[in-house]
Amino acid sequence: MTVVETTGLSKDYLTNGLTVHALRGVSLSFARGDFAAVAGPSGSGKSTFLHLVGCLDEPSAGTIAIEGEDVASLGRRDQALLRRSRIGFIFQAYNLIPVLSALENVTLPLVLLGESRTAARSDAERALAEVGLEGMGNRRPKEMSGGQQQRVAIARALVKKPSLILADEPTANLDSATGRDILELMLALNRDEGTTFIFSTHDRMVMDYARRLIVLKDGLVDSETGS
Amino acid sequence: MKTAAFPELASMAFRNLGRHRVKTAVTVTAVAISVALYIFIDGWLLGMNLDSKRNIVAFEAGAARIQSKAWFAKKDELPMYESFGGHEALSARLDEAGFDTAPRFLFEGTLLSRERSAPIAFIAMDPGREAKLLRWQDYVASGRAPVPGRFEIALGSMAAGKLRVDLPARPDAAEFEAMLAAAADADEAVFVRGLYLDAPPDRVAPAEFRRLKPVLAAMPGGKDVLRAYELPWDGDAWRLRKDARPAAFGELAAALRAAGFDFQPRHTLRPDASRTDRDRLWAILAASGRMDVRISTVIDIKELPARVDASKFEAELLPALRSDDRALASRAYPADPASGDRALAEADPGRRDRLLRAMLDAGFAPAVRHVNQLIDAVVVGTVDSPNPKTNGNVAYMPSDALQDEAGMMLEGRITELLVRAKGADDTALPDPGESPRAVKAALGGALPAGLEVYGWLDGVEDYIAASRGDEVSTRVMVGLLFVLSFIGIANTMLMAILERSKETGMLRALGMTGGQVLAVYVMEAAAIGLLGSAIGVAAGCLVNVPMVAYGIDYSGMLENMGTDYGYRVVAFFRSAWNPPVIAASALVATLVSGLMAIPPTLRALKVPVTESLRFE
Repeated sequence: MTVVETTGLSKDYLTNGLTVHALRGVSLSFARGDFAAVAGPSGSGKSTFLHLVGCLDEPSAGTIAIEGEDVASLGRRDQALLRRSRIGFIFQAYNLIPVLSALENVTLPLVLLGESRTAARSDAERALAEVGLEGMGNRRPKEMSGGQQQRVAIARALVKKPSLILADEPTANLDSATGRDILELMLALNRDEGTTFIFSTHDRMVMDYARRLIVLKDGLVDSETGS
Repeated sequence: MKTAAFPELASMAFRNLGRHRVKTAVTVTAVAISVALYIFIDGWLLGMNLDSKRNIVAFEAGAARIQSKAWFAKKDELPMYESFGGHEALSARLDEAGFDTAPRFLFEGTLLSRERSAPIAFIAMDPGREAKLLRWQDYVASGRAPVPGRFEIALGSMAAGKLRVDLPARPDAAEFEAMLAAAADADEAVFVRGLYLDAPPDRVAPAEFRRLKPVLAAMPGGKDVLRAYELPWDGDAWRLRKDARPAAFGELAAALRAAGFDFQPRHTLRPDASRTDRDRLWAILAASGRMDVRISTVIDIKELPARVDASKFEAELLPALRSDDRALASRAYPADPASGDRALAEADPGRRDRLLRAMLDAGFAPAVRHVNQLIDAVVVGTVDSPNPKTNGNVAYMPSDALQDEAGMMLEGRITELLVRAKGADDTALPDPGESPRAVKAALGGALPAGLEVYGWLDGVEDYIAASRGDEVSTRVMVGLLFVLSFIGIANTMLMAILERSKETGMLRALGMTGGQVLAVYVMEAAAIGLLGSAIGVAAGCLVNVPMVAYGIDYSGMLENMGTDYGYRVVAFFRSAWNPPVIAASALVATLVSGLMAIPPTLRALKVPVTESLRFE
């Protein structure tokens, strides 16, 4: 089953009066259970690709379909609802809400979905346990290491059981051992839950873990390996 | 917004307050000060206005007044020629309908005491009927109220002090000697001396005070003296504090003398002097002629002039009249063939009345004849009521003594008839049953043309102007404070939202709608307003408690302001509770604070999520 399908996806930016073509007609398809990495040098368009797929930005041309639904036809509010229910994000800088505890950070996506507070807390505790943070739910982000924070971010992305997780340079701020642990964790979750993972990365280790590698160059697909 | 998310969003908003505690505390404090000040000032204005209104009703106006329309139009001049007769019929009708009435005749004049003179507004009234409506007779502080049939005056206490027709509170040496001389015998002199305390001087020169300071500081009771004096910021000498206790004056004077300060004794009337002693002192001073006064006034009589100068007739009178009255005047005053002047030839009473009315309305001066009048009277008491209007340059006299040529030639005429429902609670404001409309209805068709029933607020424009002016200026001032605190909130929120751009981006990436993000920031700003309001309400109420119970003593300030400052309150500014305004000020501060977060949040929401996430 196709989870993401892009057709002729393009994105242009206007910077200092100059038009930068970040993506130039990228057509890709990701199936359920994919564990894919989008790699390439800086400026190749990999983060832009992830942001467009995650409905965080508007494409200049082309279409994106998430589980068959054309996101271009959705308004801002419906795009927010789509992100809320079907997409999880993991960022390089973790982006946890500093005033909330680890448990509350993980609970937030569930309460936004309308789950009761008690059920959401119970699910969040389970998600934290799955990422190896059992008993650490009451800690604030600033009381945790980078690896622990990234685990919270993974738990937050996973807890609502989305069909798609987009991870933008998830290991960039971590040492290699922690990075490996995190990748192992995501791989296990991918196997167990069948969640589609798409990474943007220039980390060799992530590319090694990915079952499918798409290399972008100057906004175009340069090569694609794996399936 | 899904309702399940609301507690989480609210929790996030409240926790955000703790991120920059100092900034939050400063903003909360600004809101708290604004709210507290608003509650304080509103309570103060309300208290002043409530007391003023009660005092206008209880001491000046009753519930309604019947006056001639012409008198009302020129009331600032107290035009006695616009008086009216036949008021007893009105009173009888109103009495049957359940109203008390009090007739009054107001006129202006100069009151001359043995030493001084002052312009005074005289109120000729019936003491018995007046007492049913108004309370000033309960506040005759020294002496007694005037008795019907006599040329007696109850004088406002401040005017009495200025004219020296009262019991001197702090006579100087010469005045005190004169008082002792007024005593009929040695016993009375001893009595007078015993009523006064030896008192310290009012002023001490700075050089002298510097010399005395170390001496007084080292001696027993000396520190009390130092505490009893103050050097005003604009003063050239140390002055005895206004709140210094007269009971301790003897000790203070003794301590100053013991410190080597030689001064002329300044006597002070004992604050604990009994009413009997004060009345006896009044009688002693009255017997010496101290309370004898003379009223110098002008009796204004409206009547058609027998002759009018030709040029005045043509240039002043005719242009000021309406066209039909011009014809009437020309017929009534044919030109004298010899001199050209106009001589009155109209005999018909109806036409004469109409022409006189027209002349008065046109402000034609020769239609009012002036008769100088001097009346000898005696001041029998001073009025010191909670309404400063009764304590200023006002004299109350029995009207029955002024009816003929020896008085004011009133001949039963009055300038106003005060009206109040029988048995009305005089601490309460008039109810609708005492309104001008109700009084008019009670009169049926008995109210003559030319007379009108006015409400108790109709004749007190000075109070209304002062009250409105104060209300507008203080509310504008506090409003500005509110604006400043809201600008503080707007700035705090702007900084917070800008600083948290990345976090806002993340919340949107998680699927929060624009409305939910807005709700978080609005709740955060509203929480600042709520906290500030809570503290402000607590502080405002805390300040209000003693203000309602005791008020602020401003009697010293009143001495400089006189009695014409608009409000009808003396000595104490007392606040009142205004629960709706207290609740509304807190609610408005909270709501407006919340609204302050909307513009910066909407601006932040226009930024694409990817840009927000890149923000460092």
